Amino acid sequence: MNFGWRLVAIGTLVAGLFGILVLRLWYLQVTEVEASLEVAFEQRIRVVEIEAPRGDIFDNKGKELLAGTVATLRVVVDRKLIAFEEEEFLIQNLSALLAIPASEIRREFETRGPGGRFPLGDQITQSTGISVLENIEDFPGVTIEPVPFRIYPLLETAAHIVGYVGSPNDDDLERTDIDINDQVGKFGIEGSYDRLLRGTPGQIIYRVNAKGEILGVLEERPPKPGGSVITTIDLDVQRFVEDTLISGVLLARQEETARREEEQSARREEEQSIFRGAAVVIDVTDGSIIAMASVPAFDPSIFSDGRLSQDEWQGLAEKAVFNNFAIQGLFPPGSSFKVIVNALARQRRISPVLEAEYEEIVDQVADPTAFFSDGELLFPNTPPLNDWKDGGHGLVDLSESLAQSVNSYYWSIALRIWRQRDVDWPENLLQDFARRLSFGHRTGIDLPFEQPGLVPDREWFQFNQQNQTGLVRKEGGWSGGDLMNIATGQGALSVTPLQMAVAYAALVNGGTVWEPRVVDSVRDAENNLLFTNVPSAADKIDFRPGLVDELKADLNRVVNSETGTAKKAFEGFCDDDVPDDECAALQEVGGKTGTAEIRQATDRVEAIDTAWFVGAAPLSDPRWVVAVVIDQGGSGGRVAAPTARRIFQFLMGENPDPVRAGSESER
Amino acid sequence: MSQTISAQVQLRPQIERSRPDFVMIGIIAVLTALGLLMILSTSGPRLEAEGSVRASQMIRQSTFVVLGVVTFFVATILSDRQWRLLTPWVYAVTLALLALVLGIGELIGGAQRWIPLGLFNLQPSEVAKPAVILGLAALLAGAVEGQVKWSRIFKAFALVGVPAILIFLQPDLGTMLVFGFVTVVMLFAAGTDVRQIVILGLVAIAALIIAIEADLLAEYQVDRLTGFLSPGEQTLSINYNQIQSQIAIGGGGMFGQGLFEGTQTNLAFVPAQTTDFIFTAVAEQLGFAGAATVIALYSVLVLRLLIIASTARDRFGRLVASGMAAMIAFHVFVNIGMTVGLLPVTGLPLPFLSFGGSFYISTLFGLGVAHSIWIHRSRIPLGAVPGRAV
Repeated sequence: MNFGWRLVAIGTLVAGLFGILVLRLWYLQVTEVEASLEVAFEQRIRVVEIEAPRGDIFDNKGKELLAGTVATLRVVVDRKLIAFEEEEFLIQNLSALLAIPASEIRREFETRGPGGRFPLGDQITQSTGISVLENIEDFPGVTIEPVPFRIYPLLETAAHIVGYVGSPNDDDLERTDIDINDQVGKFGIEGSYDRLLRGTPGQIIYRVNAKGEILGVLEERPPKPGGSVITTIDLDVQRFVEDTLISGVLLARQEETARREEEQSARREEEQSIFRGAAVVIDVTDGSIIAMASVPAFDPSIFSDGRLSQDEWQGLAEKAVFNNFAIQGLFPPGSSFKVIVNALARQRRISPVLEAEYEEIVDQVADPTAFFSDGELLFPNTPPLNDWKDGGHGLVDLSESLAQSVNSYYWSIALRIWRQRDVDWPENLLQDFARRLSFGHRTGIDLPFEQPGLVPDREWFQFNQQNQTGLVRKEGGWSGGDLMNIATGQGALSVTPLQMAVAYAALVNGGTVWEPRVVDSVRDAENNLLFTNVPSAADKIDFRPGLVDELKADLNRVVNSETGTAKKAFEGFCDDDVPDDECAALQEVGGKTGTAEIRQATDRVEAIDTAWFVGAAPLSDPRWVVAVVIDQGGSGGRVAAPTARRIFQFLMGENPDPVRAGSESER
Repeated sequence: MSQTISAQVQLRPQIERSRPDFVMIGIIAVLTALGLLMILSTSGPRLEAEGSVRASQMIRQSTFVVLGVVTFFVATILSDRQWRLLTPWVYAVTLALLALVLGIGELIGGAQRWIPLGLFNLQPSEVAKPAVILGLAALLAGAVEGQVKWSRIFKAFALVGVPAILIFLQPDLGTMLVFGFVTVVMLFAAGTDVRQIVILGLVAIAALIIAIEADLLAEYQVDRLTGFLSPGEQTLSINYNQIQSQIAIGGGGMFGQGLFEGTQTNLAFVPAQTTDFIFTAVAEQLGFAGAATVIALYSVLVLRLLIIASTARDRFGRLVASGMAAMIAFHVFVNIGMTVGLLPVTGLPLPFLSFGGSFYISTLFGLGVAHSIWIHRSRIPLGAVPGRAV
């Protein structure tokens, strides 16, 4: 039976081999069935993300639309559905359809990468869309879809607050909720509230075959629209402030031109420097920004279609239209800073250092704040310091020093602080007070790119001297002279208009330093609150009783006393037939002019001072602080104060007068 | 000794002896029908999408089935003795066809494996499989059990080698592997000493290594083998097929997704699903239960062939039946092993199920001869009576 065992052996071998197959099938179909089904499912589906409509941005009443989203019919290319060899054919056809050069489309294809899905070109008409669908064999992988498109109905109005959206950069792409095809908020509220505005994208899950052809819809999850932002911006005030600021900037330009003609300046018109300005209206009771303007401005819509060319962008950027000078512009505050020093002098009862020859005169008035200005302050080893008024201001007290903006008074206060340093108070008494009032650091406003500014002190000075940054002199240490510079808002001190507004607000509201805010709340599509930006105080300063009222009275003298530097600018605040002393509204306004000297001028641009006016109203129960800065505007009393006056007139229900030149103050 | 044995043997009437093997025919019928269904289910959606008749590929296979059935009966009608006499002719015709296909390939300037016959394309390499089995059976029938001389073994290799070289020139790696396996099994069945087979195995391994080193194999053939050794590399398109196949089979689960319901096969994720990967469709649609049943049917078929071998009236018959058993078993193991990811892709069709005429018809031809052997089997098992050995 030799043959028999051989057949049995063959049979056993075959049985063994088949047994292996059965075991393997058991493993695949019974043990591992879940894993296989999952992999199989993922292969059979295709997930397409649907962009969520971006949330709207409204004014403080929730009525006027500052930024919104509309659906536009667009050509959407899905490279996953295009065979490689069809791409050139498609590009040529799209180029003809959309009138975009083929090279540009090709570049777009490359940027989006293989498998990319993206809208191409501008909005198309319904009939164009239909003709594409009728000739779909010429447009493989193309769909016609409504695509969300960002609009800014108010164009340049509040542009710096609202901001704009654009394509994501590398940093944006590190966020998990952003992909290359998304639009991302870049600036303004669009930037700082991007996460709440962008919503959650939806998904359509398609069934596909092995070639990726769509067979049907498996699941559709609609996108969740982004939240709607309610700002603190009063659009009436905003529009008015913007118009007024432009008038103010134009006034400064006229003044400048006139002055040049007078001086028969050889400079030609095109060499004129660009005029910039900013204005902030803040609610002193909670830190809300009621209006915030920056000149020059831009139309945020130019970014929405992503078609702004590099050159165009460059041109606009050189004009600094994308800078919100209210929070990004750093200016020396000039005399407008004297209010801070004034408040500190009252708080700590600091009296000015007197020149020996005037001690007798001053003693007669028995006022510890009295001071005599002869126009020149003389100290050993330094050149004489001059008041802006030739011959000086004569006998002044703390109140009058503010009305007339007496430089020598504040230098003397600084000198007192310097002399008594480490005895009665720390050396940085003034700097610390300024910092508590929000200078030298970001105020924390809910907008991107805020500048911290600088409050110089010995530490800062030494650091820069040691590191030879060129910001400070090479020889000598931090001195009393440096502190005197700060007291008059000069030197290295630099502030933003917003910091100025926040500080003044704290001085008139009794000491609350608000963290300013432009957004009040964010609500979803069903009007549920997603986020409330509760007003929050960064600091609370305990002022000596009576200090705030004294200060407010001083501020009023600036605009409403014969000697006040803004007297001329505020003349006729009420209607023409009401004299100033009977104008109730004028009693309720106060503020301070500022003219900051720009020491370093480039060869091309002549040094022109920065003009300031910061004021508050109504003084009996303060609501608003208005800060106006006009870069290279010249005198604060002449240019900035009339601009602020018009804003105050509007806020207080008076008939606004055109912006006209005030008096030349403080040179 | 012989007295007692013959006394034990029950003589049966002629009519009972010549009764057809209904089990084998039944299995062939069931698997053929399943094959037609699977071809319909895998080709239907694609054909419909192309605007063709849904069943057109199945209908085409049906014509092959008709030809196959005719061939089976023709092969059955002739007796095993007649087939032994015809073997040299069958072998010669096969060699002629193999040479012809090379010539045609030469003419059209490319790899050519078939001869266009109008109704279908004849693949001589498929025809060569039963022809070689017949040839080897005829050659090895003359040997004595346990004493197969090396000279006969070398003759056997020469017999297989000539068509093998012609096929290698096509080239068709799978068929060569079939030849190798069938030759070894038939040598074993013919009574070759186990030591001889071991030596042959070692020589074969050495030859394979030399072939790869000497670049005798085409690059894609080497890729298939080496790609299989690194299955994780999805990027290799050669692995893609097998990975898709395993996903589809796995998705079948215990009882399958239902006839015509296989998602992966319907959506064309699995390539070559009417031919090499047809088993994937079976496993996805009918599940483990269906797939295991199909393997069981093949097992019974192989068992039947081995029983035919054991009851054959002469050595030629038993060697033909053993050779056919080896051929069927090897095709099934290599093809299904490929679909489940156990073996590399070699392009061997699955008997009765894969779409294709040449292999179907030549398989039925070989089985027809085996069936003829069964019809003309001996009442007394071969070797039971001394001196009956031929």
